[in-house]
Amino acid sequence: MKKLIFVLFVALSIVHLAWAQKPVPAKPQSKPIALTGGVAHIGNGQVILNSLITFDKGKLTAVADATVVKVDLSGYEIINIAGKHVYPGFILPSSQVGLQEVSSIRAMSDNSEAGEMNPNVRAVISYNADSEYPPSYRFNGVLLAESTPTGGTISGSSSLMEMEGWNWEDALHSADIAIHMNWPPIARRQFDFNTFSFSESPNKDYEKQVATLENFFTDASAYGKVSSKEINLKLEAVQGLFDGKKTLMIHANNPKEIIESVRSAQRAGIKRIAIVGGLGSLLVADFLKEKKIPVILPATHSLPARTDDDIDLPYKLPYLLTQAGVVVSIYDEGSLHGARNLPFYAGTAVAYGVDKEDALKMITSNTAKALGVDNRVGTLEVGKDATLFVSAGDALDYRTNILSHAFISGKLITLPGNQQELYERYSKKYGQMK
Amino acid sequence: MKNRILLCVAFLLSGWVALAQETFPRNDVKDNRAGLYAFTNATLVVDPQTTLQNATLLIKGNRIEQVGANLAVPKGYVITDLKGKYIYPSLIDMFTSYGLPDVERVRGRGFGGSEQMESATKGAYNANQAIRSQYNAADEFTLHAKTADELRKLGFGAVLTSKADGLARGTSAFVSLSEKNDNTALIKQKVAANYSLEKGTSTQTYPTSMMGFIALLRQTYMDAEWFGSQSPRPFSDNSLEAWIQNQRLPQVFAATNWMNVLRADKLGDEFGIQYIIKGDGDEYKRIAEIKATKASLIIPVNFPDAYDVEDPFDAEKVSLADMKHWELAPTNLATIEKNGIQFAITTSGLKKTVDFLPNLRKAIENGLTETAALKALTTTPAQLLKVDDQVGSLKKGLLANFIITSGKLFDEKTIIHQNWVQGEPYSIKPLDTRDFSGQYNLSVNGQTYNLEVTGEAGSHKTKIKVNDSTSLDVNSTFGNDLITISFKPHKQPGSIRLSGWSETTGWKGKGQLADGTWITWTGTRTGDVQAKDSKKPADNDKKEELGKVIYPFTGHGYPALPATETLLIKNATVWTNESDGILKDTDVLLKDGKISKIGKNLSEASAKIVDGTGKHLTAGIIDEHSHIGVSSINDVAANSGMVRIGDNIDAESINVYRALAGGVVAVQALHGSANPIGGQSALIKLRWGESPENYKIQGADGFIKFALGENVKRSSNPSSIRYPQSRMGVEQVYVDAFTNAREYEKKWSAYNGLSSKEKPLALKPRRDLVDETMLEILNKKRFISCHSYVQSEINMLMKVAERFNFRVNTFTHILEGYKVADKMAEHGVAASTFADWWNYKWEVRYAIPYNAAIMHRAGVVTAINSDDAEMGRRLNQEAAKSVKYAGMSEEDAWKMVTLNPAKMLHLDNQMGSIKAGKSADVVLWNDHPLSVYAKPLKTIIDGKVYFDVEKDEQNNKALESERARIIQKMKNVKKSGMPTQRGDGRSQLQFHCDDVLGYETVLD
Repeated sequence: MKKLIFVLFVALSIVHLAWAQKPVPAKPQSKPIALTGGVAHIGNGQVILNSLITFDKGKLTAVADATVVKVDLSGYEIINIAGKHVYPGFILPSSQVGLQEVSSIRAMSDNSEAGEMNPNVRAVISYNADSEYPPSYRFNGVLLAESTPTGGTISGSSSLMEMEGWNWEDALHSADIAIHMNWPPIARRQFDFNTFSFSESPNKDYEKQVATLENFFTDASAYGKVSSKEINLKLEAVQGLFDGKKTLMIHANNPKEIIESVRSAQRAGIKRIAIVGGLGSLLVADFLKEKKIPVILPATHSLPARTDDDIDLPYKLPYLLTQAGVVVSIYDEGSLHGARNLPFYAGTAVAYGVDKEDALKMITSNTAKALGVDNRVGTLEVGKDATLFVSAGDALDYRTNILSHAFISGKLITLPGNQQELYERYSKKYGQMK
Repeated sequence: MKNRILLCVAFLLSGWVALAQETFPRNDVKDNRAGLYAFTNATLVVDPQTTLQNATLLIKGNRIEQVGANLAVPKGYVITDLKGKYIYPSLIDMFTSYGLPDVERVRGRGFGGSEQMESATKGAYNANQAIRSQYNAADEFTLHAKTADELRKLGFGAVLTSKADGLARGTSAFVSLSEKNDNTALIKQKVAANYSLEKGTSTQTYPTSMMGFIALLRQTYMDAEWFGSQSPRPFSDNSLEAWIQNQRLPQVFAATNWMNVLRADKLGDEFGIQYIIKGDGDEYKRIAEIKATKASLIIPVNFPDAYDVEDPFDAEKVSLADMKHWELAPTNLATIEKNGIQFAITTSGLKKTVDFLPNLRKAIENGLTETAALKALTTTPAQLLKVDDQVGSLKKGLLANFIITSGKLFDEKTIIHQNWVQGEPYSIKPLDTRDFSGQYNLSVNGQTYNLEVTGEAGSHKTKIKVNDSTSLDVNSTFGNDLITISFKPHKQPGSIRLSGWSETTGWKGKGQLADGTWITWTGTRTGDVQAKDSKKPADNDKKEELGKVIYPFTGHGYPALPATETLLIKNATVWTNESDGILKDTDVLLKDGKISKIGKNLSEASAKIVDGTGKHLTAGIIDEHSHIGVSSINDVAANSGMVRIGDNIDAESINVYRALAGGVVAVQALHGSANPIGGQSALIKLRWGESPENYKIQGADGFIKFALGENVKRSSNPSSIRYPQSRMGVEQVYVDAFTNAREYEKKWSAYNGLSSKEKPLALKPRRDLVDETMLEILNKKRFISCHSYVQSEINMLMKVAERFNFRVNTFTHILEGYKVADKMAEHGVAASTFADWWNYKWEVRYAIPYNAAIMHRAGVVTAINSDDAEMGRRLNQEAAKSVKYAGMSEEDAWKMVTLNPAKMLHLDNQMGSIKAGKSADVVLWNDHPLSVYAKPLKTIIDGKVYFDVEKDEQNNKALESERARIIQKMKNVKKSGMPTQRGDGRSQLQFHCDDVLGYETVLD
């Protein structure tokens, strides 16, 4: 018990303690920092067992094997992380973070706008920097998240947010990086009270709905080629899709929907496409591989869609798709509160076949590439953002995902949040912690 | 011959009636006739066991007068020579709604909108709208000519009709398929009392679940007993009066699948009633349990169409269970017969009534004997309904309900010529249809065509052969005397149309050419049609391979149930959960379903050795809060203490297998959280493949779900009117319930304390299932697991319990338990919580992943639960979160998903740790069980390996090859032109107690 309390105490005091309701956002990096001796997981598959990592003004300046490269560290704040592991900040894609707080309360939801075609609505300006979620995410190593509108056919424009900041401008990493689209379903589900089960019937409007979408994109493409015109906010909003500045994130699960949606987007001249969901992607893996379309899978902690499926299918899907040559990353389609388990979704993929460093890519570099932000985040490489963290051990497993330091763009951030504050308060009440 | 034709024409044209009802007014002169008919030289099937050759049937009016082999026909009878023909008693369907108004289907109202607390039925009827025992089909019955005609064509002469509305459906009527008038057709009223497990049109909110349906029927039996014992009655209730009266009738229960057959039978057993149960045609899936009910069954022949599996992507939507049912449904009746179960057959459930005989033949091809089929359609229903003095066989004095057929009834080629109902004939196919098949020379306008007439009399097909490879289509209509032919000659514009009459050598007649010219034509028969090599599909084709029944009947079911093994697990890291802690390199012997020995270098001659090197052996995971393996979880009465999860165990739920594969051996299947007082739990072991009853842990203590907070005050439904609407009201629901229970107890002890002389004179109190359940809690015979979130309500329930002198057993979810952990420890309540769920609704805003650790450290027995089929299959990971967040010791964390839930479920004397003498409920892991990388290799319950990772892999392959085999078969069906259906991607609802009924989410 004593040992336990000690561990607890250390865990809480090691980091900058700031016992406010919410941790105070950190100041920008003021001096160069060096992390020495840690096991570095680069995020691209490489591992450096004894690493030297330096960063200054928010950017990585050295990521090297300490046994080979020597750097003059005078003037650096040196943090010895020998025996620990260092990772690029994990990235949570397709999340409603900052847009929704308590999902059962309507007043606390800003994630969905009225109407079907909303490419012009922007998540970033609605992002609540005081949300309770970011502190809980970064506590487990999730340092970046894509704040994403939902609903309708074209839900809106997402932005990549840092899990720290005084306000949305402060927290913004990259604005308007992707357009999210819900491909019309080929079949609709309905509930049958007689058998207490769901069943599907064909969506009679499917072709009409697809045609509406295709028209929208061809009109938008044509619109982009004319210089003098009446401004159309919706068409304007998707312009980045045709020159590869933005990703089209297609939410689709049925294998036929996947093929039709990708084909349709490519016909419209859209450059960068990703499938979100993609439960049926194994059946069309060859297609996805050939077209170089990455798939952002839901949490591995899911139930198989069909009774007959291999009971481990959600656990195995990242492995099976990777084996088939498809680039995979992972999001959490279910709940905002559950997304702090992103590292363990990747860990579960490891248990079912994926190499550990490949699983790491699924929550770092693969995601950064799909979102078109891999020039700045996703790996520990010189010139990229110093968005990284130090963990006591393997960050993909529960007992070792214990963070001692986390940096976002070089800022050393406060890890404990409201939940840790309550822990301390009541542990003290019962004399469980001094 | 002439007589026969006359007769048919006379009946059908004149609408003549044999015996007019005396009381009816007349608008003509009197025309009563004797109605004397004799049928001679027939093969006469008296009943399924007795067939007379060359026999005679005499009828007089609507009754059979005599039946026999050597009967002399008295004078005055119209004689019909039935040489070569058969007479059968006409068929009986004892499960129809014939002649009753359609029941409008009420769409599931769910639990949105305002609740309807009381019955909307006007009048002095039952408090619950779904109890419709006052209904009598005879009051509403009116004959329906079109349906009667359809059924008569299949050979039916009389049916039982009941209105498919309500849990208690009132009485049914026995009616004939006569078209004369309602007074004739209604043979007998109040023939049977009918029940179901479907709510019907009732708009009242309670009950809404399978277990609620059962609970309401159970309570109504008790209410009726109490009500009926009083004179004068305490109040009027026409439904209960009728219910009491109806008990003397045969009791017919409509079930919609094999599980409901068992549920219905079990309900009947409680009250000494043996229902006649209408099944759904899937009884073969669990025939041993069905047989054990001893119920007589009513079985449909509604075999599903094959699925369209042309597109492999779409075929994925069809489940193995549906595929196998398609293949095996036609074997159902044979299986029932072989097991010696008494059964009747019904047309119920058929999409098209005309499929009845073809489907019945399919059942016969699959092993149903013709005698049994006939019995199931004649004598059995007659006896079950106690109308065998009227119908079901051909005996003197019975109604003249019989059919005349061209051959044995169930032969494919057999034609039903006439169907006599109550002494009146209904012609279906004339008795003497002429057979015109043969080769003809058709001479038309100087041309000779080679016409070929094939097929059976009455359904001839015709074509004109031009040469060996070419023939012309010919339209033709054959009457006994008249014929019409039209065809388009080869390479000529327009058609030739002929009309004529038959002659001894063929036909003659007039016709018109394409240009309108009238001509004369003849057709001369030149010989028989050459019998084609119509080889019946060879025998080996017929005996196509049929899949085996699997247990349970769903994907991942087993061909056979696992047996108890003697297993010696060697050199494992053993997490004992006892004072020994974690033992390295240790052996564990499992024998006779128990943990037998734990130690080093154990040996046991008979044991199968399992290498545990590098592996971890733990007690099996127990989930204190689960909703898997049940058919429904939420009813809606604020106090739903009368409903029992154990009444609706679902033995075919795939989530049971998924949880097993996650190392779970037992769960508390809890009621949902829609009410302050929910239903009674079932403690089940995940004995995948067993029958529902065998899931239950025998001898386990009784538990019940309570709930607090947002769900019970219906926060997500702004139009809810149900009491309580606030946490203040929630407390009052409890105080009220326990206060009433004490009063109830007083009433009964006063009654039970009476002397044997006084008792009969006193009024026996009414049994109330809610009060009885509350009393069990007060008397520490049933234990509460209470869904709870915020500290105020947690504290409140403990105070209520203390006031009534008992203790709350467990707070489940208990997300703010960390705020009152000291009070909980003092009260002695256990805590079963989520590892890290929070913020999905307001009352869980301040949930923290340190909750379990704080409560544990405060001395509260603490467990981690799932409330979720997904999380429930990796509770080992959820336990690990307390190590991560709060630095809890690994052993203590592990106990939170094994020993501690065993303690709170009072099962720790037999489960929860690896200790000699405890049940062999263990899991072998490939890795440290708290690691994200750990997977169960074997999950063992009662010493039986219910999950094995290698067997699972084999089973997956078997599943795929079984699907592939049936898909090929279905493709052939589609090719042969038979109808197919589209896969509907059916999937079960995942229960989650916070969803409250699962209805709201579903109805959005």
